[in-house]
Amino acid sequence: MTGSSTTPPHGPRQPRRLLVASSLIATMATGVLVLLGLLAVFADVVAPYDPLRQNLIEALQWPSSSHWLGTDDLGRDVLSRLIHGSRIAVIAAAEGTAIAVLLGVPLGLFIGYRGGWWDWIVMRIVEAIVSIPGIMVAIVIIAILGPGLHKAMIALGILYSTSFLRLARGVVLAEREEVYVRSARVIGASDSRILLRHILPNIAPPLIVQVTLTVGAVLLSEAGLSFIGLGVQPPDASWGTMLNSAAAFMDLNWFLAIPPGIAIIVTVLAVNLLGDVIRDSIGRGVAIAAKPEATPTHSGKPAPAAVAEPVVLPRLKNEVLRVENLEVMVGSGAGLPIITDLSFSIAKGETLGLVGESGSGKTMTGLAVLGLMGAGLRTTHGSIVLNGRELRSLSQKQMEAVRGNEVAMVFQDPTTSLNPAFTVGSQIAEVLRSKQGLSQKQAWARTVELIDRVGIPRAEERARAYPHELSGGMAQRIAIARALSCNPSLLIADEPTTALDVTVQQEILDLFRDLQGEFGMAILFVTHDLAVAADICDRISVMYAGEMVEMAGVDTLFSAPLHPYTRGLLEAMPHASDRNPPLPTIRGSVPRPGSWPTGCRFSNRCDFRIKGCEQRIPLTGTDRLVRCIRADELALEAAQ
Amino acid sequence: MSENVLLDIRDLDVTYHSRSLLGFGGRSFSAVKGASLSIRPGETLGLVGESGSGKSSIANTVLGLVPASGGSIRFGDVELTSMKTRYPAEVRGQIQAVFQDPYSSLNPSMTVEDIVTEPLRVHTSMTRAQRRERAIELLRLVSLSQEHLTRHPHQFSGGQRQRIAIASALALEPKLIVLDEPVSALDVSTQNQIINLLYERRDELGIAYLLIAHDLALVHHISDRIAVMYLGHIVEEGPSDRIYKAPAHPYTAALLEAVPLLDPDAQRKRRAARKMAPVPETPRLSVAGCPYRNRCPHAMARCEAETPPAYPIAGGGTANCFLHAGDASSEPELDKTTEHVAS
Repeated sequence: MTGSSTTPPHGPRQPRRLLVASSLIATMATGVLVLLGLLAVFADVVAPYDPLRQNLIEALQWPSSSHWLGTDDLGRDVLSRLIHGSRIAVIAAAEGTAIAVLLGVPLGLFIGYRGGWWDWIVMRIVEAIVSIPGIMVAIVIIAILGPGLHKAMIALGILYSTSFLRLARGVVLAEREEVYVRSARVIGASDSRILLRHILPNIAPPLIVQVTLTVGAVLLSEAGLSFIGLGVQPPDASWGTMLNSAAAFMDLNWFLAIPPGIAIIVTVLAVNLLGDVIRDSIGRGVAIAAKPEATPTHSGKPAPAAVAEPVVLPRLKNEVLRVENLEVMVGSGAGLPIITDLSFSIAKGETLGLVGESGSGKTMTGLAVLGLMGAGLRTTHGSIVLNGRELRSLSQKQMEAVRGNEVAMVFQDPTTSLNPAFTVGSQIAEVLRSKQGLSQKQAWARTVELIDRVGIPRAEERARAYPHELSGGMAQRIAIARALSCNPSLLIADEPTTALDVTVQQEILDLFRDLQGEFGMAILFVTHDLAVAADICDRISVMYAGEMVEMAGVDTLFSAPLHPYTRGLLEAMPHASDRNPPLPTIRGSVPRPGSWPTGCRFSNRCDFRIKGCEQRIPLTGTDRLVRCIRADELALEAAQ
Repeated sequence: MSENVLLDIRDLDVTYHSRSLLGFGGRSFSAVKGASLSIRPGETLGLVGESGSGKSSIANTVLGLVPASGGSIRFGDVELTSMKTRYPAEVRGQIQAVFQDPYSSLNPSMTVEDIVTEPLRVHTSMTRAQRRERAIELLRLVSLSQEHLTRHPHQFSGGQRQRIAIASALALEPKLIVLDEPVSALDVSTQNQIINLLYERRDELGIAYLLIAHDLALVHHISDRIAVMYLGHIVEEGPSDRIYKAPAHPYTAALLEAVPLLDPDAQRKRRAARKMAPVPETPRLSVAGCPYRNRCPHAMARCEAETPPAYPIAGGGTANCFLHAGDASSEPELDKTTEHVAS
């Protein structure tokens, strides 16, 4: 759940100039290829002369008005031969690529899905072919089949089928583990149906790119094979044979090599550029596709930073962190707001819960405090004050000193937040040495002490273990020990128990409480689980669609929630009711950034909506805060 | 229970083998040991346990995705474990599944219509028009509409995707749907929508569910009976309400008590009163003895020596625990410690 809340809805947008350039390249490349196709089809009409008509009197002429590109050693018109050569080029490219695809893709699909001995044998053969220079393989195949255009293309097809085979096999190996393939098997689809109908369409994007690359490669190889006399046979015109004869008369007329050379370069370049553009656009397509229905139909204009509401937050005693009017944007230009007008503070030894569903901005808040937001995200407004120091004005280097020393973080999944390549002890010791300047020996002694402190038996021995050798609960204890190694004044815990079993969750929550008693750090506890928040937090801030909707002390919040969203969430908790369905629900789903309703962002799911909800609702109250114009009414109603 | 049983699992063993690099030797891991369960037509059985308990292995074995290494699974009159390759068509269409992750369980390259009608294409000879009609009907069953037919999965939220997965599972009017953590990847505010949907369709269509989840509270809302698993063993089984309100096995009680109460004050009191169970070393599937014994606050010498059989419990069901070795009518002593329902 948190995973999706951290992913920005838009990837970083491409600068406009790049987009224009790529569409220009695509147009030009397509133009070249269309021209080539037309020339190939209408060669007989377009060409000024018969490409085979010899005229020895006019041999080896330079370009003139009657022969625009001159004539070759037998007096044949070079332009006409070039045009007819394009026909050969198109046939060769189509034939070679088609053979490669038809041979490589099905075989790759089959061995990838089947695995076992089939896979082993075919892959060893492929590796043998790939380890020999390609032209050698082609020459061997042609030696068996005999020379000629079509035989050369069969040879090239076999050669290039290996790359299609490996591509298809790779995709199948990845896709066959996907849950949708499992679903297809449960439905009862046959293996061939799963392969052709379910998996094959997902190979299309890389396949298209591979085809364009292969077309270019086949064109080059055909020219090469014809040049050494194994492809197209004289007197037929192909760009390769033209180069061949040009080479023999280099001294007499060097211009002969220029037209076929340029034709080959331009064509191959056009094909490859088009392939690049297609690949990029497929990539972009996925990025756009990953964005859920972000049609900003009733989307509010992003709240301008200028009208930030006044902070109603009272000063706390021993305040460690104070965040005021924080705003986080994603994307370039005006950007899309992810968090707006967020203010909160935490005191020493206090635990503040940041509760919300995916897309509420709770995880992003923690990362914003650390200055660790991903690419494309930035804080555009507000202040973050830690121990009296404004973090937003610090340089990268200064921030690095703050992280680890003054503020540390514990993440959701301990098995991925720890580096699998190092022992857990060395990862803690590394922090101690770099942040606190301890010697190797001191750092190790302190590490073992910390590991023992977080309740891991046989600490000395466990310090030498790798993360994968520990259970999830143990690994999370290590991650906590690492976060506390420099005795930070603020600990940010992002869903630290969500990936764990409930019985383990209970132990970790106890550990947090215990350590806070000893170290006295402030904890910003980010979670989607209200029950966990009830257990660990002193105060809770409920977030919805990038803003705080309610904040109260833990007892008050659970006994008398004011915001309709908080009430809805509480009622929806599985433990909250002991009855049969229908269970209480909140209708609709959490809106994505960019499609927040104007005014109250919860209004489209709220049962208490009135006309006034269409305006921006301020956060009201002093001790406990709520963002709802009907909060007073609802409180009264609840009290009755 | 013998006559009218839809799915009957007897002494099921599931063992995974990991082959070493050279193809011989290697290790084997026993995921399920001697599990017995049964589901009647139209009934919902909740299968609860933590990660590594073997609950998903049972699901995958019933679905024919993982072979059983011992015991039997009977679906109606058909013995499923003897099928070496794949289930016959008449069984295949009768058992469907909804998986946990709605993001990877729908094929990204297919439209909603393709996804929902795929089972019809495989198993029926309906025409395209008939299939489309049925697809619209199915989408209506899961509160989606006709306009969604031509869209691709990425255009939907998690909850909507799970609705599409359910529509596809309903297409063949199966007798049993295996629900593997169907809501645990969803937002809290949309979880109950899916639970309600599953509940309504079950009553309308008379489908039986094998509902697999880690959250006992959630399972209890729509299950008729619940089975609790720990390290490959079924440790307790019985009517949903009895398990939830009066758990007989110490592990079931621990599971329920581990979920914090929504009343902070009550939770503080419970925390203070909590018995500290020993923190286990890596739990291992024991050869003999109770699988829970090294975490159990009630462990006795006997738990070390023999594996507890299923003892009948007052209020229905059984628990594999020596605490209940005496008279079945005596009140289990664990009742008092569990008040997990928020007032």
